[in-house]
Amino acid sequence: MVCTLAACARPPAQPPHLHWYVFDEQSGAFAAAARRCSEESGGRYEIVLAPLPTDADQQREQLVRRLAAGDPDIAIIGMDVIWTAELAAAGWILPWEGEAARQARAGRLASSVQSASYDGRLWGVPFTTNTQLLWYRTDRVAKPPATWDQMLTTAEGLGTHGTIEAQGERYEGLTVFFVSLLASAGGQVLSADGRSVSLAPGPTRRALEIMQRLATSSVADPGLATAREDQGRLAFEQGGPSFMLNYTYVWPSAHADAPAVAAHMGWARWPAVIPGRPSRVTLGGINLGIGAYTRHPKLAFDAASCLASAPSQRLAAERGGLPPTLTTLYDEPPIRRVFPFAEVLRETLRDAVQRPQTPLYADLSLAISHTLHPMRAIDPIRDVARLRAAVGRALRSEGLL
Amino acid sequence: MRPRWSAEQRLAWLLCAPAVTAMLVVTAYPMLYALWLSLFRYDLRFPGERHFAGLANYAAVLTSEVWWRALLNTLMITVGSVALELVLGMVFALVMHRALVGRRAVRTGLLVPYGIITVVAAMSWRFAFDPTTGFVNGLLGLHAAWLAERWSAFFVIIQTEVWKTTPFMALLLLAGLTLVPEELLRAARVDGAGAWQRFFRITLPQMRPVILVALLFRTLDAFRIFDTVYVQTRGAQDTATVSLVGYDTLITRLNLGLGSAVSVLIFVCVVLIAVLYIKGFGLDLTARGRGR
Amino acid sequence: MRDRGGVLERLFWGAGSLLVLGYALVPVAWLVSLSLKRAADLGDGRFLPAAVSAENYVTVLRDPQFSASLVNSLGIAAIATALAVLLALLAAYAIVRLELPGRRLILAAALAIAMFPPVSIIGPLFNLWRGFGLYDSWAGLVLPYLTFSLPLALWSLSAFLREIPWDLEQAARVDGATPLQALWRVIVPLAAPGVVTAAILVFMFSWNDFLFASALTSTNQARTVPAAIAFFTGSSRFEQPTGSIAAASVVVTLPVILLVLVFQRRIVAGLTAGAVKG
Repeated sequence: MVCTLAACARPPAQPPHLHWYVFDEQSGAFAAAARRCSEESGGRYEIVLAPLPTDADQQREQLVRRLAAGDPDIAIIGMDVIWTAELAAAGWILPWEGEAARQARAGRLASSVQSASYDGRLWGVPFTTNTQLLWYRTDRVAKPPATWDQMLTTAEGLGTHGTIEAQGERYEGLTVFFVSLLASAGGQVLSADGRSVSLAPGPTRRALEIMQRLATSSVADPGLATAREDQGRLAFEQGGPSFMLNYTYVWPSAHADAPAVAAHMGWARWPAVIPGRPSRVTLGGINLGIGAYTRHPKLAFDAASCLASAPSQRLAAERGGLPPTLTTLYDEPPIRRVFPFAEVLRETLRDAVQRPQTPLYADLSLAISHTLHPMRAIDPIRDVARLRAAVGRALRSEGLL
Repeated sequence: MRPRWSAEQRLAWLLCAPAVTAMLVVTAYPMLYALWLSLFRYDLRFPGERHFAGLANYAAVLTSEVWWRALLNTLMITVGSVALELVLGMVFALVMHRALVGRRAVRTGLLVPYGIITVVAAMSWRFAFDPTTGFVNGLLGLHAAWLAERWSAFFVIIQTEVWKTTPFMALLLLAGLTLVPEELLRAARVDGAGAWQRFFRITLPQMRPVILVALLFRTLDAFRIFDTVYVQTRGAQDTATVSLVGYDTLITRLNLGLGSAVSVLIFVCVVLIAVLYIKGFGLDLTARGRGR
Repeated sequence: MRDRGGVLERLFWGAGSLLVLGYALVPVAWLVSLSLKRAADLGDGRFLPAAVSAENYVTVLRDPQFSASLVNSLGIAAIATALAVLLALLAAYAIVRLELPGRRLILAAALAIAMFPPVSIIGPLFNLWRGFGLYDSWAGLVLPYLTFSLPLALWSLSAFLREIPWDLEQAARVDGATPLQALWRVIVPLAAPGVVTAAILVFMFSWNDFLFASALTSTNQARTVPAAIAFFTGSSRFEQPTGSIAAASVVVTLPVILLVLVFQRRIVAGLTAGAVKG
């Protein structure tokens, strides 16, 4: 067999595989986005999905273990918004700079960009976002309540149908609930530089008062102390409760599982804590970060930029029900069909509050949820001091929590 | 005489060598490393800030209310579940031993709970006791939120553990039952001893070594309970166990020094339990048995 | 010859059997019922499904990740069991029957290994395995399972072997059998129930383990079922895949039931009196 030197020197090159570590998305939107971007790259790279467990805590556990070991296989990471500071401070992800950062920020929701920023730099490109709305039964309540006090009073007036579904288990969701209430009351957990405790007594006590009132009133779900998002959804779909504070996934779910309830399902912004002052709800979502030990950083940045571009976001929204981070997409008709509540959603996202951006967020969240659980045992006066002490210990990473 | 003994010793060591090697290779390094880490202040996210801290981590753990409450919870769960499992396991072992009709069905059926993956069993029991989606409340006509209160949560956790691991006890006890010589029992019956007397005076003492081994291992496992508590309450309602505290510290907070100290302390507690069994109950397998 | 009890005694043990079966299987029935419920009915609080639907099984069986993990689980557990029982049997025989200086030490060390909390072993083991190239491989899981179930196998086999009347072996030799024949024909059948018991314990340990499986694997190559279940998703980010998990567990328990059915006769071997104890 005779062949020229150039022709048989190497077999045809395989495009390098960039592994995208993200939770397994049921509808296949992520897989479709990965395929699309691989094709568009013209053979420069191929994005391969590497699934992570469904639970966010388990995802973090696996990622941290492998990143700490310097795993070169991790190229693109689907980061939960709360991991930005931790991964960045430990040097496990690469910062976005220059042109790539400018493009990553262009046209995105400000709050999403902020969730991917730490210490003045950008550490990921916002991919999808998420936040909670107030869902209520339009056949029982004429107008959605504007404040928490109003909602509690209205609900108590409805008797057995007045139940308000919220998340009360001792997990991240409880921290989310507290942070939302605190921000709506005008307070914050940490100081601006993120190094010391803020938790001003006034707003903190107000937030705790609401939590306690909800948990001890007749309108609390009896299983509130062990309720996560899904318990609330299931209960609402059974038809009993009239109010629910939950993410946007409950809308398509109700339409699929409980059409009778979905026909009377309305949405509104989260109720305010201070009358006249719009509520602020915690931001969730996924940012795409680049693993620090990957062999192809430049390609990974390009791939991530493509994955977070408009066409991929449309796929994630239409197929997966995940709200996009590009502001203009909220005006597009197909997106508005998937999210009839797009306006309210966009408003909420505009005012959204970040969870404390510190590398010790995991400790912080543990401290907050451990102190405030169960909600019915909260003493608004005494627990302000307890909370400050716990958060302080978490910031210094000392002692058991 | 002497040459024969040393040949026997050599053979004995040869037979033990593979097992010993396997155990050492896999566990010696991790255990020693954990012990080493417990003397440092080391957060995985800030490897550069690692520094020697001596016994500071141990002091932090031992003066923490969280640790002592978790220890109490763990002891309660351990005693509760092991006691129940012993009694139930004995009953089931007797049934499996004596039943003639449907013996195969009983023996197979009893091992099924043991074969269900622990996290799945915990999840399905959690679902069963859920006030909205479960069937227990409907069955008993209650509206309780079982996992939302401390004592009912303990009940659910212990109940799940007992359901899942009684087959383990029953299996070991059954193997022990087969060792009880039938002629002793027959002789006792002829002498006029009743069923209870035969059970307590003959069967139980004959089964003693097997019972003690089963109890020992079951206690060690129960003390380190993790999966069930993690899935059902994550330690809420003051049901946290020492393993859960270790997990939170090591994996969630990435505080390797403190977490390793917790692990070493768990190990010390378990050693104490084992010593209790060996010295207190006289569990000694190296003494010569009936055979020789 | 077994004691023949009266009809009352027979009934008593029969009723006991039913109770045992009920205790064991009612929760499993609940799991099956969960797996057959439609997504919309999951929250209805009924024991039996209002409408039977096989959608969860379709989802689970179509998932390539799940079928791979089933193969992994079976293979890894089987290998770990075979090795653990073999090593434990040899060591137990040496400890119980032979003069072995340091046998107390071995038993104590084995116990110490069984007592260390696994959660703190995972970190260093993960680093070790990455260094040796055992990460995400069958051997990488077989070794820890083998190691952590050896103590239990060793102790239970020792306890069992200790109670076997070894003079039978002598008797057989006196009757003219060679040592090996004596071992094979007399001792091994006696030890069989203990060996099978130890095998079941080791198998169940490897089968049920979640901690090591999730930490030491990363792809379908070696991921076992408990770890794979953590990857199940509901139709959205927050929805708990209860139905799929239930269906997966049912599918996964079937091989276990089959194995037990095959070996259950050996679990209590025909240790009828006479040949052994008489």
